[in-house]
Amino acid sequence: MPKYTSMAYKSWDEMIFGSAPKPVSIGLGPIELGKKYVYPQIVPHPRPGSEATKEKILREYQRMTDDALGRCVALGFPGLVIEFEHIYQITSQPEWAGAIFAQAKEQMKEYYDKYGLKSALVSTVADLRKPDMVHMRHSQELDWMLASFDSTAAQGADVLSIETMGGKEVFDYAVQRQDIKGVIFGIGVLSSRDMEWLWPQIVATAKKHGITPGGDTDCARGNTAMFLAGGYTATDLPHTFAALARACSAARSLVAYEQGATGPSKDCAYEDPIIKAITGIPITMEGVASACAHSEMQSNIVAAVVDLWSNEAVEYHDMFGGSSVEVFTEILGYNVAQMNAAIELGTAKELQAINIASDKYRDVHGFMLSPDNAYEIGKAIVANADSYYLRSRAAVLRTAELIAGDKKLTLTEHEREALDKARREVEALPDNEGDFVDMCLSEYKKVPGFDPTSYGY
Amino acid sequence: MARTVADIADFTPIFVRYDVKIAPKKRGAADVSTDPVLQAIARGVVEGDEDAVSEATDKALASKGPEAVIDTLIAGMREVSKLWDDGVYYLPQVILSSDALMVGLTKAEDAMGGKATKKGTVVMHCAHGDIHDIGKNIAAALIRANGFKVIDLGSDVPEDTVVKAVKENKAHLVTGTALMTTTMSAFAKIADMLKKEGIELPFVCGGGAVSEEYVTSFDMGVYADQAKDGPAFAADAASGMSWQDMRAKWNLVV
Repeated sequence: MPKYTSMAYKSWDEMIFGSAPKPVSIGLGPIELGKKYVYPQIVPHPRPGSEATKEKILREYQRMTDDALGRCVALGFPGLVIEFEHIYQITSQPEWAGAIFAQAKEQMKEYYDKYGLKSALVSTVADLRKPDMVHMRHSQELDWMLASFDSTAAQGADVLSIETMGGKEVFDYAVQRQDIKGVIFGIGVLSSRDMEWLWPQIVATAKKHGITPGGDTDCARGNTAMFLAGGYTATDLPHTFAALARACSAARSLVAYEQGATGPSKDCAYEDPIIKAITGIPITMEGVASACAHSEMQSNIVAAVVDLWSNEAVEYHDMFGGSSVEVFTEILGYNVAQMNAAIELGTAKELQAINIASDKYRDVHGFMLSPDNAYEIGKAIVANADSYYLRSRAAVLRTAELIAGDKKLTLTEHEREALDKARREVEALPDNEGDFVDMCLSEYKKVPGFDPTSYGY
Repeated sequence: MARTVADIADFTPIFVRYDVKIAPKKRGAADVSTDPVLQAIARGVVEGDEDAVSEATDKALASKGPEAVIDTLIAGMREVSKLWDDGVYYLPQVILSSDALMVGLTKAEDAMGGKATKKGTVVMHCAHGDIHDIGKNIAAALIRANGFKVIDLGSDVPEDTVVKAVKENKAHLVTGTALMTTTMSAFAKIADMLKKEGIELPFVCGGGAVSEEYVTSFDMGVYADQAKDGPAFAADAASGMSWQDMRAKWNLVV
């Protein structure tokens, strides 16, 4: 499949929330993403214990779905995307998965018929392939995943997405040791190769059922680094190092779209502003409303170019304002109402500027995801399109250069040393993929469970 | 009114860079030995340099007993912990030091003809159905580097495997981690199975969406918030502290 060799925009300044050069229509209504409008996406998560039986889990999803749709109607929200991120017990039991999606779609149809509420349903299958435990290309876990894609696509899903696990074994080993070479190998090479192998199968399933192949996220690696980096007081990983890992994530998540995915992208892919700059697809982002699931340092800036505004995941519980699903649907709905009001008023660029000013210099992660910098990193990726390794390496080096070159971005001594060290190490790496892979296959054979044949080596 | 972020000179009304305010002054570790050969071992641990530790350990074992080497390795690791506590080191430096320590420890144990005496035994696992194990792996490395025997059962571990490992290894502590709330229910089952076997020990659980409220809802459960606290939990359990006392110490008991 061809690789992206150019950008979707002439300059970063053309990028804005709600608009994408390659819009996507999904679900009932339909929900049109990228056509001068931002929709909310709620990701409800079942309570522990509800997974005990099929009857219980169906009841849980029935209530969560009804709560989300009901709150939209109560407050006048025009449309909603609901994403079900499968728990282990759903993906490993494709028959349960199908039943849950069929039930939800039926509820969405009822709301559409009665109120005209637009809606779409995303099926995010759990990648159960832990690379150090199972073979990535031949395992019971893979069979379950493919069957769950098929059963949910057949019974109500409008979008298929996933958070693939390729390269996680090498990445985990490397990130704990602040080893940028291993991070590039784990994310940039191994995960990309796994996606190149898996995604044509997801796209084929989506096509078979006439639905949309959404996207993939580097959650298992990029977000691990970001969460390890944490806030200002954490000392688990330098923030500059996490930002360099994120640069690799962008080069890696691009593979889904090169293999036929069309977006909407996956919400926890913080690399998505770079993906949008390259591909022009509508992106899903999670920001301030994902505080229910985790803390982050770039909650506002990630709204700068968003098309579908999400909350990561909220566990189903009672709150003073209703169920957690109702409450977070309301938060998301009002967030996007503000964005859509700005679009209507012709002040979208002003709102974008506010969101950028909020977080661009709060932390390096927000800095690199600022649309101007995201665009620059994207350019480095497409200029090295032919090699997964080289485009990851180029993204890392460009990110390091941008961080080091902006005087407004203050770095502590430790952060700057971490950045400089990683940069020196990356500059010393081989100039071609073959040499790099040979070197890494030799070095990382010590990683427990790493099996190069899982990646076609 | 500023038009873009480029027009803003002072961001303090928007955010305060507390990390810059609290950034510690860079400092090195204190020497742990006046013997240059032993100090070279400790320095290798502090710098996370496996080759240096290997070379210095070989040199030391030629003239000294393995016990002296092991004591030095542990003293070096203690200095690493101090640097981490003070914010001078970050986790990767600690993990690299732990790797280096293990190189020296393996050599010293080979010279002894057996394993060094451990402070206690910890059985660790990631819940059945859960494959998110980086937190468990970090905690395991830290606990091991602090002189404990770690039985790492890995990820997606069936409940009966955990119970069997606790019994067979006469563990002082068992730990469980999970990212998903829908897999953490395995912890209560394990606690129940241990009870039926007549075994009581602290069962430290944490990770991702695991909550203190849930972990303290079943007997033996002690909630852990940070992987870095692993060695302290292991030390408490090995000292004979009951799960009730550990819960009272570490958790909010309502």
